[in-house]
Amino acid sequence: MVTVFISVLVISSIGGVLALLLVLSEKFIANYGICTVDINAEKQIEVQGGQSLLSCLVEEDIFIPSACGGRGTCGYCKLKVIEGGGLLLPTETPFLSDQEQKDDIRLSCQVKVRNDIFIEIEKELLSVRQYECICSGIEDLTHDIKLFKFGLAGSEEIDFIAGQYVQLLTPVYFKGGEEVYRAYSVASDPLNKGAIELIIRLVPNGICTTYCFEHLSIGDTILMNGPYGEFHLSDTESPMVFIAGGSGMAPIRCILSHMLNTGSKRKAVYYFGANKVSELFMIDEIKQFENDLDDFRFVPVVALPDPAEHWTGLTGLVTEAVESDLENAADYEAYLCGSPGMIEASGKVLAKLGVPEGKIYFDSFA
Amino acid sequence: MKKTPEMEKLDNFLRSSRIVAGGFMGEDIRDVDEVIVADTRSVERLGYSLEQVAARMHEITHIAKEGLGVCVDVGAGLKGCVDEAKGRIVCPWPHPASFDKRLTTVTDVESGKEITWSDLHIHLIEEHGFFEGIGSAMRIEPVKLITIIF
Repeated sequence: MVTVFISVLVISSIGGVLALLLVLSEKFIANYGICTVDINAEKQIEVQGGQSLLSCLVEEDIFIPSACGGRGTCGYCKLKVIEGGGLLLPTETPFLSDQEQKDDIRLSCQVKVRNDIFIEIEKELLSVRQYECICSGIEDLTHDIKLFKFGLAGSEEIDFIAGQYVQLLTPVYFKGGEEVYRAYSVASDPLNKGAIELIIRLVPNGICTTYCFEHLSIGDTILMNGPYGEFHLSDTESPMVFIAGGSGMAPIRCILSHMLNTGSKRKAVYYFGANKVSELFMIDEIKQFENDLDDFRFVPVVALPDPAEHWTGLTGLVTEAVESDLENAADYEAYLCGSPGMIEASGKVLAKLGVPEGKIYFDSFA
Repeated sequence: MKKTPEMEKLDNFLRSSRIVAGGFMGEDIRDVDEVIVADTRSVERLGYSLEQVAARMHEITHIAKEGLGVCVDVGAGLKGCVDEAKGRIVCPWPHPASFDKRLTTVTDVESGKEITWSDLHIHLIEEHGFFEGIGSAMRIEPVKLITIIF
């Protein structure tokens, strides 16, 4: 019995000493000290070595899109590491194309800063900021889509281009959860710089959407950063076709506000698809743009209207409506926002109608 | 049987809300490998393999996708509806695999029985034999699944 006790004590002591050595070695031997991150050969920041590059940048208020909180699972936080990033890790390769690997693109959450490091970041990302936002309103739009209104705290203002998106930081609200970012297109008028509106659809068991639908209340403060994204109107005068479904309404609503603000005279038609009449929303508001804009037509389309709903508009898939309704499409630019399936199907229809591939812009859900 | 550190880590991860709200295990107190063994036996008792089940789920999702959210006939007296959401979801197992957030809901027109799976479920069943723990909001009951899709 005594032998067993002594053996357990000895083994435990050895384990304890090893753990202590690990802690001390992490503190003193693996202490990388202060390292310099050189950004675009224009700006240098000093950071504590040993952290991920993504964390270092966030600490300096430089926000790189990332949905997974730095776990290396979303593949969004790409940037170019010119020197000092170490070897490409197996955790990065699934998210990087051959060309990206040749171009020294890395996942910033997987690159550990162990020495001075030289990186390139898109200039637009340097203007991304974090905003404290107070929820000021929640409106039901359909059974699973809500409009969330936020006011920016203090006298903060956000400048964004119509069509861009922000990332909402979901706080921990579930045992065993952790903070995650999710991206949502801004749905509000870009002129209203003190507020942000988001149209969010509930994803079953989705971490962020469950938070928004079941936990977020009016008056709550949350964090968002942005703006991000390349989805916005071109500066041509070409006629435009907008195609969207569900929460894909958000960037199109924002773009229409922008057109109104800038007195745009571009011809535009907007096809908005839903499965049932009860899944259409903001119809009157969007219809009003027909009066307010110079040459705009709104075409809501319902796939399977219930006879009791007395739907008199177009029926069928939104892509079928575009195919049958849009004329002289070869001159058009197309702006799409919806599910990957809808984007793909719309692309095929638009190609058939003669819209050049280079003039089809989309904000894919993926 | 004593769990390896890897199994312990996976078990904790599956019970956390790091990938889906509420986790993958629900209130199931069994170890992950016990859940997998029990569900695999259920599938085999009905004369199917995990590969056959996953292949059929793939097939139905592929047909239902064409409906762009509208329920379509996927054959064998079934209607299939696909719903897509923004972003991708990753496999909780420690290997790189991510999937579109796509839900397929299949209804047996005659019986009215209905079942829903995600693209991630198909992978979890095919590669890991995992149908989620009992009490998990998105658990797929193997017997119910097989009864509907075959």
